[in-house]
Amino acid sequence: MNAIAAAAAGHAHIPSIVLGIVVLAALGYGAVRLTHRIRLSRPPRRAPKPAPPSTAPPTPKPAPPGTAPPTSKPARPGTALPTPKPAPQSLAPFSVQRPDGGWAVETHGLTKRFGANVAVDGVELLVPRGSAFGYLGPNGAGKTTLIRTLLGLTRADGGTMALLGIPVPAGRSRALAGVGAIVDEPRFHPHLTGRDNLRLLAAARGGDADWRIAPSLARVGLADRADDKVATYSMGMRQRLGVAACLLADPELLMLDEPMNGLDPAGMHEMRTMIASLAAEGRTVVLSSHLLDEVERTCDAVAIVDHGRVIRQGPIDELIRGAGAMVVQVDCAEPARAVQLIDEAGIAAGTALADAGLTVTLPAGASREVVADINRRLVTAGIDVYGLREVQASLEDWFLSVTSRLGEPS
Amino acid sequence: MTTTEPSLSEGRPEAPGPSRRRAPRTGSWLPTWDLITTKNLEIRKRRGLMVTMVVLIVVPTVLFYGLRLLFHAVDPHTYALAGSPEFFSQATNLIDEFGFIAAAALGAAAGTTDLSDGMFRHLVITGRSRLALYLARIPAGLAITVPLVALAFMMNCLVTSYQSPPDPTTVSFYGVTAAPEALSQARLQTWLLQHEQQVGNGFLPGLPAGPGITPTPAQVRSAIDKNIASYYSDYTAAEISGSSPAANEMAKIGLWLELDVGIAFLVGLGLGSLTGQRTTTTIVLIALEIIVTPLLAHTQLPYFIDGQRLLIGVAMDQLRPAALAAASGGGRGGGLLFGGHGALGFPPMPTWAMISVIVGWIVGWSAIGAWRMMTRDA
Repeated sequence: MNAIAAAAAGHAHIPSIVLGIVVLAALGYGAVRLTHRIRLSRPPRRAPKPAPPSTAPPTPKPAPPGTAPPTSKPARPGTALPTPKPAPQSLAPFSVQRPDGGWAVETHGLTKRFGANVAVDGVELLVPRGSAFGYLGPNGAGKTTLIRTLLGLTRADGGTMALLGIPVPAGRSRALAGVGAIVDEPRFHPHLTGRDNLRLLAAARGGDADWRIAPSLARVGLADRADDKVATYSMGMRQRLGVAACLLADPELLMLDEPMNGLDPAGMHEMRTMIASLAAEGRTVVLSSHLLDEVERTCDAVAIVDHGRVIRQGPIDELIRGAGAMVVQVDCAEPARAVQLIDEAGIAAGTALADAGLTVTLPAGASREVVADINRRLVTAGIDVYGLREVQASLEDWFLSVTSRLGEPS
Repeated sequence: MTTTEPSLSEGRPEAPGPSRRRAPRTGSWLPTWDLITTKNLEIRKRRGLMVTMVVLIVVPTVLFYGLRLLFHAVDPHTYALAGSPEFFSQATNLIDEFGFIAAAALGAAAGTTDLSDGMFRHLVITGRSRLALYLARIPAGLAITVPLVALAFMMNCLVTSYQSPPDPTTVSFYGVTAAPEALSQARLQTWLLQHEQQVGNGFLPGLPAGPGITPTPAQVRSAIDKNIASYYSDYTAAEISGSSPAANEMAKIGLWLELDVGIAFLVGLGLGSLTGQRTTTTIVLIALEIIVTPLLAHTQLPYFIDGQRLLIGVAMDQLRPAALAAASGGGRGGGLLFGGHGALGFPPMPTWAMISVIVGWIVGWSAIGAWRMMTRDA
């Protein structure tokens, strides 16, 4: 082994100058790499802004069999919606009854700590099979940690979990055979081609995964670039390669963590279309995101997480309705006097002036008669009413209302 | 994004539905052939790393012998034949030294690139046993180091075989020259006793020495009788170092080289998996090879000699094949696996201790690397 040691002992003749040069070069190279790594690992001075919501036209969600497509009534642009004050709501999931297909994801009291910081705090999560499920929360809420814990990328500190009905981590290998996932930004070996990266993953998957490489690449539109090095891929292409990697498993459950991150509007549209098509095939898609608009366009149901805890979960329509966030847009003359009149009548949960009138937030459970009552009172008071329109609160409004109540006494 | 959506089971019988899915056995700790070959592919396609490997392992030998052959061809009177035993030993030491560093760098890369490239989590998500993922790296990496070392050593052997000077008919040791070759210990003793005067003018250990001091014939005979075993060991070492190694010696040296470089790879892999830092791992192992081991091996510390023997460099030196050790200037000790003597001048270790240290380094670092791989957050 050690000719240098032998030389030091005064026995061997080694071209020590050559060796010394090589060693110094290696040390110098190492120092440069180390410096580069340190520089890369420094946090950016400013946190990157989250990607703006897509301006691309929304893709209609594939409706579950036997259900009517949801009707969307977007708020008028420029309308300042008042913060609704929804009634206290149960934290229980939308349906505690086990669906026919069972749960794709099931957690009870799942906890993950990093020192004193509780990243996942006793999460109770039930994701029905075959649904497109959004896992919503602000940055740092614990979304990625939950997914990492579910996938066995990090160990849970407490609670139980099951994927596709198989308890993990006990049956982790069996469960993950039917799971595809993208966690954080999809990264691959940059010096390998997209196809070679998939070969690597297919070898780890085993079974028929190798045969799915070509169709998976074709499915995500990377067939033409499959033999290019990943280093030459754009962010969107890497995201698509990540989806292709998921498809190698022909997964029943897809877990996509912030799949829209770093994508331009066209890329987001493509990704949205792909997610919708995968969900339409009956696969369960769990979409973790802080982009409410994307989740609302893509998912049937959501769970809201904040500070590591699931604070609401259920079908989006039910959650928004249940939050009592019905808002009426009133187009009238003398909006200031109208606001005063309605406030004095005590029939609204909140009022606010808008560009061309006012918005009235109705109390939870209010009937449509209240809308007629508002109209009657305004006309009686001599205020000209040009129109009343019920406005469906968006997921964003509801999300903000729910998260803004955090910390307040219930 | 394509508008057509190919079936994921294209070209294959329709995939079974979810309820009938037969999950592949990804939980086994044994790596599959596909896992090994694809990992090997991943390493092989790192062009910079592969160039470094070739530059460190093969190129020194090519340059060393290329220049020797050229010089000899141009001026055969000044430059000896390239295949002398001394050059064989030097070239082997070059392969060993640079091979160790190259293999350590390769091991560090194999142990860290999945992490640094962000592929580790993809691999974990497949459900494949993390132990299998780790174990697959071992044959994948050795499949690169072993052929390169073999290629370099083969060139060494070829030049030595075809360009070697004739073996000497005499042996010189401790200033005693013209001792004929291939003597047994008894015949060496007889020969020395028959040449008392020449022995007395030499520098054999055990004889009175100093300016103007000439040992008497009685002192010479006494020293010969008393130290013949030691003299024979030195005679043998000198004999081996002066002769071209035989084919079986070359085979032993080749195996020893492969083992040494293989250990470097395994230690690099284990340490790389432990730290997750390729550069740090490489620097640490280079420091171990060129600083720590020579420093600790240079002086025997009586109160710490067992600690010194825990160094893999010392243990591997003890395993050094006889022909190589002798040519490197060693010759003490003996009776080890390859009949080696070590070149560091360290007192011989018991065979079980030497094997324990070597196996300990292999198993220990592999276990540490595998443990870290299995417990690391992906």
